[in-house]
Amino acid sequence: MGLFDNQQIEPGVVTTTVEWLFNWSRKSSLWPMTFGLACCAIEMMATGASRFDLDRLGAGVFRPSPRQSDVMIVAGTVTEKMAPRIKTLYEQMPDPKWVIAMGACAISGGPFYYDAYHVVKGVDLLVPVDVYVPGCPPTPEALIYGILTLQEQITRGERAKPGGRPTLPTPLVAA
Amino acid sequence: MASARNPAAGRPCLRLWWRPKGDTMGRYFSDLFGGSASILRSMWVTLRYLFTPAITVQYPDEQRPQPLRALNRHVLTIEESTGQIKCTACEACARICPTRCIELTGAGKGKARRASAFTIDHNLCMYCNLCVEVCPFDAITMWTRIGELSTAARSGLVYDLKIMTADRFYPTPMTPERPPASEPEPEKVEAGATVPSS
Repeated sequence: MGLFDNQQIEPGVVTTTVEWLFNWSRKSSLWPMTFGLACCAIEMMATGASRFDLDRLGAGVFRPSPRQSDVMIVAGTVTEKMAPRIKTLYEQMPDPKWVIAMGACAISGGPFYYDAYHVVKGVDLLVPVDVYVPGCPPTPEALIYGILTLQEQITRGERAKPGGRPTLPTPLVAA
Repeated sequence: MASARNPAAGRPCLRLWWRPKGDTMGRYFSDLFGGSASILRSMWVTLRYLFTPAITVQYPDEQRPQPLRALNRHVLTIEESTGQIKCTACEACARICPTRCIELTGAGKGKARRASAFTIDHNLCMYCNLCVEVCPFDAITMWTRIGELSTAARSGLVYDLKIMTADRFYPTPMTPERPPASEPEPEKVEAGATVPSS
């Protein structure tokens, strides 16, 4: 038993080490879902292409099936028609799963926040969101920074609370 | 071999599901050679790119040079002589904003009027630059390089006066794109001196 000779052994030392290992391996191979809704998806493609290589971060393996993916990058306007499909896709992903809301439309409806009948006012009304990446659309650097933020969260073991945003935010300026 | 009925006959073609009548053997071998040549051609392209320098920007360690007018997070510019913000709370930006994400209040009267609170909600901002274009005092700019704004909560994307004035010196829309070149005058003299002699 020379492994922990120099330190006090806590009861959970093995489990925490295993959990750290799991989180490390999860953050190092975030597989996003091939899933684009609007113009933000173009920037997502640019991020995955050779100039900003998402594979450098282990997050470039865009999977065609939600069963194989870990992170859902909601890139674009979430319309009311697409909303149940997004919820279905999220529920089809296996459990250690994360959501990145990319762009103003996915965060809050963006340009469609006021006077629009057809846009969900933020994808966090549907699924719990881990990282918000603002921009219209965000640059590839911004998306990579969002993925780095998500990796830090995974390393710390944080999760988004299920349910997302309970109510709509009050508008800043009266409509 | 090309006939009027079938102009594609005789060309190397990989459409094996359709074949003209006659000369089946020659077509088979031309397909084989054409396919092999096509593969070699594409592999040659790949091989050439193997020896060119990589274009990947190693992002977290290295920044891409952004265009001069790339739009990023807002910064409220500061008058360098007085040290105050230039914003006079005229609310032109708040009125023109298509997503109505700007909220501001002013304090003071007349020339001394300044914004006392200024909030831009980047949950809604669509980066259209209209607030910058409409500002009569060039008090706000988006020509910054602050593009890394990801947060874990929506409240982290609402930027107030304190955050937006933390970075002081940024170009305003009135700043010239590049400093005026001081070179041309001596060049002109030299050109004038050399042209008549030659």
